[in-house]
Amino acid sequence: MSAHLELRGLTRRHDPDGPAALDSLDLDVLPGACVALLGPSGSGKTTALRLAAGLDVPDAGAVLLDGRDAAGVPPERRSTSMVFQRPLLFPHLSVLDNVAFSARVAGRSKRGARQDAQTYLDLVQLGGYGTRGAHELSSGQAQRVALARALAARPAVLLMDEPFSALDAALREDMHVLLGQLRAELQPTILLVTHDPLEAAALADTVAVLHAGRLQQHAPTGELYTRPSTLRVARLLGGRNEVAGTVTRGAHRSAFGPVPTTLPDGPAVLVVRQEAVALAAPGGPEPQARVQDVRPYGPRLLVTVRKDDGELLVEVPPGRPVSVDDPVGVTLVDPWVVPLLSLPAGEAG
Amino acid sequence: MKQRPGAWLVLPALVPVVLVLGAGIGTAVAQSLGLMPLVGVPRLSLDAYRAHGADVLTATRLSLGIALAATALAAIVGLVTALAVVGLLGRRRSGRAVGGLSVLTIPVPHLVGAAVMGLLLADSGVLVRWLGLDSLGGIVGGPLWLAVVLEYAWKESAFIALVVAGTLVTRVSSFDETAALLGAGRWQRLRRVTLPLAQPALIASSALSFVYALGTYEVAFLLGRVFPEPLPVLAYRLFTSVDLTTRPQAAAVAVVTTVLSVSVLLLTLTALRRSPAWR
Amino acid sequence: MALTTAAHPSVRRTRTRPRRVERALRGLRGWSGLLHLGLGVWFLLPLVPLLLWAVADRWSFPASLPQDYGLSGWRGALDQGAASALGRSLLLGLAVAGLAAPAGALAARGLVLGRVPLPGLVGAALLAPIAFPAFAVALGLDVLLIRTGVANLVGVVLLLAVAAIPYTTYTMRVAFGAYDLAYEDEARTLGATRRQVLLRVQLPMLAPALSGAAFLAFLVAWSDYVVTLLIGGGQVVTLPLVVASAASAIGNEAVVATTSLTAVLPPLVLLVLVRLLGRRRAA
Repeated sequence: MSAHLELRGLTRRHDPDGPAALDSLDLDVLPGACVALLGPSGSGKTTALRLAAGLDVPDAGAVLLDGRDAAGVPPERRSTSMVFQRPLLFPHLSVLDNVAFSARVAGRSKRGARQDAQTYLDLVQLGGYGTRGAHELSSGQAQRVALARALAARPAVLLMDEPFSALDAALREDMHVLLGQLRAELQPTILLVTHDPLEAAALADTVAVLHAGRLQQHAPTGELYTRPSTLRVARLLGGRNEVAGTVTRGAHRSAFGPVPTTLPDGPAVLVVRQEAVALAAPGGPEPQARVQDVRPYGPRLLVTVRKDDGELLVEVPPGRPVSVDDPVGVTLVDPWVVPLLSLPAGEAG
Repeated sequence: MKQRPGAWLVLPALVPVVLVLGAGIGTAVAQSLGLMPLVGVPRLSLDAYRAHGADVLTATRLSLGIALAATALAAIVGLVTALAVVGLLGRRRSGRAVGGLSVLTIPVPHLVGAAVMGLLLADSGVLVRWLGLDSLGGIVGGPLWLAVVLEYAWKESAFIALVVAGTLVTRVSSFDETAALLGAGRWQRLRRVTLPLAQPALIASSALSFVYALGTYEVAFLLGRVFPEPLPVLAYRLFTSVDLTTRPQAAAVAVVTTVLSVSVLLLTLTALRRSPAWR
Repeated sequence: MALTTAAHPSVRRTRTRPRRVERALRGLRGWSGLLHLGLGVWFLLPLVPLLLWAVADRWSFPASLPQDYGLSGWRGALDQGAASALGRSLLLGLAVAGLAAPAGALAARGLVLGRVPLPGLVGAALLAPIAFPAFAVALGLDVLLIRTGVANLVGVVLLLAVAAIPYTTYTMRVAFGAYDLAYEDEARTLGATRRQVLLRVQLPMLAPALSGAAFLAFLVAWSDYVVTLLIGGGQVVTLPLVVASAASAIGNEAVVATTSLTAVLPPLVLLVLVRLLGRRRAA
């Protein structure tokens, strides 16, 4: 189950005159690794998954499984399995027979296939549910069975298309834990599509951010948060702070002080996570700002501070009373500088 | 806001149905049992059933045979058409065209269908002329009741195709992809996923077609032969004969047909309830 | 636990038996066009003689096509009373649709959205007319109608409406299954009266399904032969009766064709209209 999946220059154009659904995607999923494809709807992530599965044919580029080009190989002969957003359990088969489907189709006897399926059903902790019908399960249980069914097919690569987005938050947590256990047990290679950065962070080793069919950045989650390569990546991961300024002499200069950077001289944007800004008592050496707005955010506060022409959104932990018009000192814990966003019709930003 | 609609809403439909069916069948049963004679004293008896016993048996066998043959043919053609319409047997565009053509036959009344089949299949009909033969061996009014079977099969295949395609079209593509991803080739997907999914709709629509072929008068009247008679034709002849004492016998034949029809549907329903894909 | 990798992960091994069938069926791909053609012929073929005979003045055996084209079939049809039969069929169809569609819609609304006691039983009763052969119910009812002195036409309309109710109820049940009562609640909170809710919310939202149900009921009445024959007592002459009398005689092929065509075109036109309405609403 641990194959090496490579997408090389994968391109797909649904509409010959319009923009490409997927534009020259290069992605490497190492054996046993879990890579998340993150992006808004329309970014091409599902297209990439379907191309990897063989459900669609690329206009250019290749899908390589363990170094071999899978071009022309239909999905039933390609060793990839997919779990969709809906469980899609076959309604005419029992739970156990659903999981045993791939074995039956490969020619195993009914008893052998069912025995094999039982081990996978136990893995997802639904061992006793084999005789039930598909419609008797809750949505969380059904999705687990779908997972067991996909794994029972012994795929080289497991593909998952927003598999938990239809479940509520608590169930999703359980599924994340389950997936972690399955990874430890089977070491499958997983390519997972999601629109939720938190889920990507929880499940994947590295995250590939897609926007309008193009790869923006492929890195471990932490790096995406603290070292985004483009403004788009920062925005897609929920970053709210963008301070305009200019890079001169190796540092970005703006209202919130010089930030060292390797970018060339010229206009650029300072990005910093709202969680990575600290507010201190006024009068210190750090840049001084004034509170513009305070809004509750669960147990925390979202505070907007302003200095000259720069504005920052700060997430303040509970226990720190802040009011509008308070003077505060602002410390940027981990700032980063990204280029200006180029126009959509031009090169990738 | 107490907005839930009341139970009285079903009454405008329910009352006429119960009255008409109850009165109609009740009267037929009563007539057949000798309780409503046109002349004479009402007297419970089974004479009406025994009077044409052999005829009724022949008629039953004939009706069941015709209905079975027609439904089997309609089910096969209808299933294949449905698979073509949803795009599982070749290109979807030509499948859709076939679906469109099949829908054309639905507004055709069975009587008109019979008349049109007569134009096509009679010994001096159009098919004979096109094939350059002398005759077709008597399809219309022939001993095999082929014309009747073909007419039923022609119309009911469109109905079955419509019902089966209706259930398949929403689900077929996602289940088909899922099965393919689990390693099932085209033939296996058809056998293990598509056909089981289509089965309840196929059975239900086939049962309806069977019951319809069993109880329809006009097609056998136009395309069949004078003897033997299927059940509806026998009943009609007895009902409209000058001899008024045959009325109860006509009612008896009607009751027999009704019992057959209802039994077939009840059997189908129980069989369907047990099937796991029926919801 | 044998939960480890397969030997060659990139291409799955398949059993030999399916592979042979696969290869054989791959050849079928070229046959799929032939299959579609065969199905097309199956559905269209019987309609071709209909069209040919309708425009034939003279077509004697064994010619493949009519020798003379003309409108004598249409004149013959008019002579046999097709025009008034057409009118009567239309009225019958409209009357039955006007009764069965609203009744079915109300019943469906009650069953799906309301509280009906014993809903399974009621639902089954509303589907029951399908199980009972029309001629059997007509046989029994005829005697009763004569004894109670109910007019022939009324009896025909009543029986056909009952025969159509399973179709209208089922169609509307499907429609109400996809219907949200919350729309009506919303309209009432916005100030609409019961009547306005009916006219501005319910009917427009249900229009495609309602027209479909009405069409089915119309078709039941339009296509009927045996009930009109038995209960109508020969006084109610609808189009199917004209077709039947033309078809049971010999040498009448042109009239059979023209009357049949007259019997096919109105429902066909209605079907197209109903489908267009459904598509427009969905857009």
